[in-house]
Amino acid sequence: MSARRELRQQQELIASLQPALHVPQNWNYEVDSPLYKAYLHPPHDVGGQFDAPILYEEKEEEQWELNTYVTCEVLGWRGIWNSEERRRRADNDLGYALYLGIPYYGRWILAAARMLVDKNHISLAELAEKIAEVKARYAKK
Amino acid sequence: MPKSKPLKKSQNTAGKARFKVGDRVRVKDMPNLFYSRTQMYVRGVVGTVAACTYKDLIPEDEAFNRDGRLEQYYIVRFRQKDLWPEYPFDNDTLQTESPERWLEPVES
Repeated sequence: MSARRELRQQQELIASLQPALHVPQNWNYEVDSPLYKAYLHPPHDVGGQFDAPILYEEKEEEQWELNTYVTCEVLGWRGIWNSEERRRRADNDLGYALYLGIPYYGRWILAAARMLVDKNHISLAELAEKIAEVKARYAKK
Repeated sequence: MPKSKPLKKSQNTAGKARFKVGDRVRVKDMPNLFYSRTQMYVRGVVGTVAACTYKDLIPEDEAFNRDGRLEQYYIVRFRQKDLWPEYPFDNDTLQTESPERWLEPVES
């Protein structure tokens, strides 16, 4: 994130993810009951919500998705987390925008990273440094 | 899907099942706080117990890795028309699963 223009664009994109009820919401002092219930609604409970028709696609799993699946399963077999923490609560805890905005296995891998940090298996600084190191390695190729 | 921790018999604290197959039950509408697996569209709706399945941890505990509180689960059958008033077919039903604490008895 070096160029200021790039930073500005990124900030605009982030602002566009703000929950909006036709007007942007930011630090409300009064939240009525229906809105409160809507905010507290767990993102995975989508049954009965209206949606536009979407194209049905038969998508094959990609390697990173399979790797993610196996990683999360192995963490379960080692007793690091259980299925309810893993697939359900941790995914929900990513928040509404992230839950809906990234691919299915993207939720899983972010939730796994978060859990490993939360439970003190790795440190956040350690993880960020490792990701930066790997990114730099790929950039050289 | 293997569970991370097998359930021990000594953890079974649920006692006798409160409902039996055929009982009319209403799904409670308890507040959502951080996590729930009880769908919004069944809350407050009356259905029929279709099966007593097993005893297991309740989602609110398992989601935070708390052990020890096993509870009876039920498969509850709803009329689609009770869930979605505009639904066109009278005989169609929908089944979903719920632990005991989310159900209350309905006098028939």
